[in-house]
Amino acid sequence: MASIPTSKGDNPQAPTGAAISVRNLRVNYGSREILHGINFEVPAGETLVILGGSGSGKSTLLRTLVGLETPSGGEIWMRGKNFAAMSEEDRDELRKKMGMSFQGGALFGSMTVGENVALALQEHTELDESTIEIMVRLKLDQVGLSGFENYMPAQLSGGMKKRAAIARALSMDPEILFFDEPSAGLDPIIAAGIDDLILKLKKAFRITIVVVTHELASAFLIADRMILLDKGVIVANGTTKELQASSQPRVRQFLDRIPEPELTGEIDYLQMLTGDVPPIRQ
Amino acid sequence: MDISTRQSGTATIVDVVGDITLYNSPEVRKVLLNLLKEKKSPRVIVNMLSVKYIDSAGVASLVEGLKLSRDLKSTFALFGLSRTAQEVFELTRLVRVFEIYTNEEDALRGGSPNTNAAPVR
Amino acid sequence: MAITETIGSATINGLAYIGGLARLAGSSVRTIFIEPIRGKKFHFGRAVHQAMAVGVEALPIVSLISFFIGTILALNAAYELRKFGAMQVVASAVAISMTRELGPLMTAVVVIGRSGSAFAAEIGTMKVNEEIDALETMALEPVDFLVAPKFLAMLLMVPCLTVWADFMGVLGGGVFGVSAASFTWGSYISATLDALQSRDITNGLIKAAMFGLVITAVGCQEGFSTGLGSEQVGRSTTSAVVKSIFMVVVVDLIFTAIFYLTAPR
Ligand SMILES: Nc1ncnc2c1ncn2[C@@H]1O[C@H](COP(=O)(O)OP(=O)(O)O)[C@@H](O)[C@H]1O
Ligand SMILES: [Mg+2]
Repeated sequence: MASIPTSKGDNPQAPTGAAISVRNLRVNYGSREILHGINFEVPAGETLVILGGSGSGKSTLLRTLVGLETPSGGEIWMRGKNFAAMSEEDRDELRKKMGMSFQGGALFGSMTVGENVALALQEHTELDESTIEIMVRLKLDQVGLSGFENYMPAQLSGGMKKRAAIARALSMDPEILFFDEPSAGLDPIIAAGIDDLILKLKKAFRITIVVVTHELASAFLIADRMILLDKGVIVANGTTKELQASSQPRVRQFLDRIPEPELTGEIDYLQMLTGDVPPIRQ
Repeated sequence: MDISTRQSGTATIVDVVGDITLYNSPEVRKVLLNLLKEKKSPRVIVNMLSVKYIDSAGVASLVEGLKLSRDLKSTFALFGLSRTAQEVFELTRLVRVFEIYTNEEDALRGGSPNTNAAPVR
Repeated sequence: MAITETIGSATINGLAYIGGLARLAGSSVRTIFIEPIRGKKFHFGRAVHQAMAVGVEALPIVSLISFFIGTILALNAAYELRKFGAMQVVASAVAISMTRELGPLMTAVVVIGRSGSAFAAEIGTMKVNEEIDALETMALEPVDFLVAPKFLAMLLMVPCLTVWADFMGVLGGGVFGVSAASFTWGSYISATLDALQSRDITNGLIKAAMFGLVITAVGCQEGFSTGLGSEQVGRSTTSAVVKSIFMVVVVDLIFTAIFYLTAPR
């Protein structure tokens, strides 16, 4: 199924125009398959929103895209190169052009907020410390955290941590940005600020952005394209307009916020309670 | 990226050609700080006509130039921002902080900076 | 059948574990000594910071413990030696046991408790909070960034602490010698110096350096193998302490045997 990649990771069949191209991607945790053959593309400079219920595999997909999980099958192409076939150096070069904001922030607890944002710049560039200081203040200002550079992550609220994490993801002026639920748990004003920032970043820096979110209003505001993930498969993939107009039941259920129907049948329910139905394999 | 300087009256014009990025902005910074600190230039004007892309490291280097010019009581201006550069300055809320002109003549004449000028290209 | 299988798989697991430790040490050596030659920066600042935490902050407790150990050694030696009226041998008994064995070993125990466990907790917490993942997405190799400075700090500081522990141990023995045996401070010190050969001290320091490497490798390895959930950090920390003590004793045995076999008769 998977084609044989060339040693350099270049391939004449590399998808052109797309910043990210995912083909038949499969990901396992142990023996349990989480993503069952995912296909999608993100054109350069566009924003893709990944929708889906809890546990549908959104975070796993994002982690795989940034190379934290190794696919058990399929391919990921980024900027015309096959991620899996890249050398360690090429992968690091690519990573310097990517930014990731984790669902829980993942700020370095032993460093101040400013040091968190400055770290990649100090490690990867020859910029003067005074330039880096100004850049850190610029990034923190963009996420509404001006003046917090000397705070430790533990001294921040959950929403502030998340925004600091976004500032850190922006530190190297990435070409591709990944956000895992950037506005979950933030108050509506701050959440709107994050949406606004995403739109501005796209406009000013032409960044390709992949956002996992639950917030439908935000999703429709920022997205060019959307995919809906359900139990590890893509059930809908299209432009924002196409998704909105879709009549597919699973899409409608998600967009119209209709709760999951209860387990059908007394027998099924009894079997579940008595443990006759095997639990989900780990 | 190429960077060169020329004199026009009392002002020094810095011509930058190419993108200003994380990796080459230290060069821009060095030129600007040298002009202001060592050469004591009373007015430094950065020509951005041929800068298609500037990232936040580039912006930060210009901010350093501006800061130093304020400290030394000289002046610092930019002209010829491309549309994307203009957007970057708007995103970082710096359009009102810098003296920004559409073209070289206006920048040399000084006076009230045309901050809300439409992008040149 | 079952027993051979158990022993077999335990051996394989043990070897795999040691392989993991060696990998950590190997890539740290590359980061500290080889990469800087190729122009990649290594932050000595972080190593210095670690060295302060590992070495300087451990000084009071190492001093106290080794002083007491020195006194205990003197008491134990005197208990036997006074039967033969050979109290003057107390000084050399203390000096040799301290420099060859108990100085390095007690220092290692303190360092395991203070730093080995802290390494496991630090890295384990970072693992649980996805900070390790964040480092990777920022193209920062966690081993270069976190482990290499710790190896460098421990390689330097454990021997330094050991020299200090040797000195405090001799002092502890001297207090007994001067107050309860017929030593003066002058005669105790000169008896100590007469008894010691430079081999005793260097062998002790070689052991100390090895202990430093083992403690770092085990602490970091346990940190990296922390599972999901913050309660796993506690498990890693405990396991780092127990495994480090065991590994230090094994390494001690191996090196003591080597020193014995290679010693001039
Ligand atoms: N580290 C892991 N080990 C094992 N299973 C995991 C791990 N992380 C997530 N999972 C499982 O993978 C599935 C998808 O998880 P995730 O990608 O976090 O979903 P989402 O982000 O959409 O809520 C869930 O069923 C979860 O139990
Ligand atoms: Mg998730």
